Amino acid sequence: MTIAFDRQSAVPAHWELLPFRFHALDPTTTLLTNLVGEQVCVNPYQLTEIVDGTCTDEALLAELRAKHIIRGFGERTSAELLAMKLRTRMRRLPDSTGLHIFVVTLRCEHTCKYCQVSRQPTSGARYDMTVQHAERALDIVFRSPSPRLKIEFQGGEPLLNFAIIQHIVTAARARNVGPTRDLSFVIASNLALLSDEILDYCKREGIYLSTSLDGPPDLHTRNRPRPGNDSWQRTVDGIGSAQRALGVDHVSALMTTTEGSLGRVREIIDQYRSLGVLNIFLRPISPYGFALRRRGGGNYGVEAWLKFYEEGLDYIFELNAAGTLMVETYAVIIAKKMFSNEDPGYVDLTSPAGIGLSALVYNYDGAVYASDEGRMLAEMGDHTFRLGHLDTDTYEDIMLSDALLSPLEQSITTSAPMCSTCAFEPYCGSDPVFHHATMGDAVGVKPLSAFCQRNMGVFTLLLRKYRDDPGARAVLRKWAHR
Amino acid sequence: MSFQLKFDAKTVTLDALQRAAYALSDVATVEIREGDGEYICDVFPRDDGSHDDVEHRLRIGVIDYMLRQRIAEQTEPIRNLIFALAFSQTGLIAEEPAE
Repeated sequence: MTIAFDRQSAVPAHWELLPFRFHALDPTTTLLTNLVGEQVCVNPYQLTEIVDGTCTDEALLAELRAKHIIRGFGERTSAELLAMKLRTRMRRLPDSTGLHIFVVTLRCEHTCKYCQVSRQPTSGARYDMTVQHAERALDIVFRSPSPRLKIEFQGGEPLLNFAIIQHIVTAARARNVGPTRDLSFVIASNLALLSDEILDYCKREGIYLSTSLDGPPDLHTRNRPRPGNDSWQRTVDGIGSAQRALGVDHVSALMTTTEGSLGRVREIIDQYRSLGVLNIFLRPISPYGFALRRRGGGNYGVEAWLKFYEEGLDYIFELNAAGTLMVETYAVIIAKKMFSNEDPGYVDLTSPAGIGLSALVYNYDGAVYASDEGRMLAEMGDHTFRLGHLDTDTYEDIMLSDALLSPLEQSITTSAPMCSTCAFEPYCGSDPVFHHATMGDAVGVKPLSAFCQRNMGVFTLLLRKYRDDPGARAVLRKWAHR
Repeated sequence: MSFQLKFDAKTVTLDALQRAAYALSDVATVEIREGDGEYICDVFPRDDGSHDDVEHRLRIGVIDYMLRQRIAEQTEPIRNLIFALAFSQTGLIAEEPAE
């Protein structure tokens, strides 16, 4: 149904509009969101009455006023409250960069089908980060204004260059003097090479472990082959050992959705549950590296992933209703943005984009990238997001480089075509690396963007669950305030 | 197969029409020209069988963007005030040096 609007229609008599955006969730329901993402659902007739100033439904007007979509004439507090909420949401901006990724080696003993980097054989020591580069990278880490500094060790398989990890941890702690930062360390490992000595070290230093677990044995082993075909067993054993040594909260796992995952989301979640890992991130595959090959695991569309995601989310809501406090990480991030004033600062869902501001990547060879995906593109021969080199460039050279500032400027969603008028803008962000990789342009054409389709799909799904399912609503509210 | 749609230039703005055409780019491309008080749109659907759907989406899109334009016009002063209030206390803007 369409409704014609008279451009000269009356303005409200006793109240006026505050800035808001709208989106038709279905033919009878239109979502209204204000500047900070607080939302109200109305029908299309009500929307026209609100804009025309002819709405007389007192209950609706009270709700719109409470959600800062309208205000009484002369009322100051609504503008001040909105400004305060806006400031709260953006409070991370001056405190850039919290995450520093050290690619300590490109060597790996796995040959994962969707691997996003050009892994090297385990014997190729020339693919290891040097002490000199590690020290130069730490110079940059400690120039970042963020009060929280997380150093994440990645590869390849980072445990193949464990000596440099130990060096960096010691050196970083030694530098953390004066106005100290909240310093933390994560090793992103497949855990196949985990030993008691490594676990002792991690326990002593309070280091977190993050691993990849794609689900049941056949799926995981097919996605992540290694000599002996025992990658699942080694990962599961590693998770168990790490949980016992470090505590359950010091071990996390991530999964990647491949074609083989579709239709098996319950099994995947049950695999996590059986290991006592109650936090799962149902991630789509990224369009980089080997994932782009015909057998790379990424031959499915956005619709197929959204179906997989909804099945998974429904199962997690079921588990919560039955008393198992399972969590889906992406839904938690979005629930916080939708139903609380907190913006978790997730790299892919921020505006301006998280590249450089949220994360920096120091490659094994001394090159510095704006994000992990920027490094992956470089491995494919595209150096667009290479910000500089540790041998030659300073913190200022890197943070003020055109390679960073130009895509950052283009990534501000309030000025991007379609994003600027999108009701989901307060929940969303921009991913210039994804759009550059898939469309050759940092902004991208949103109606054709898989990033946009996927996120619009997830936002709509979560709002529908919140509106229609009391059980899901209770869980989403709880996640929003975790 | 392409088709043509016309909009009265007195009731529809070019900005709303361009935005609606852009939002349609997953299913069609649109050429817009002006003549005799009308905006004339030549619409080229990507899929030959999608004429009706594309036509409805363009009409709805134009109305939606006209409405968004009205909201933006009505709320521009308060939007500016809110942003000014929000950023005045961040410390992001350095104080001007004293003369």
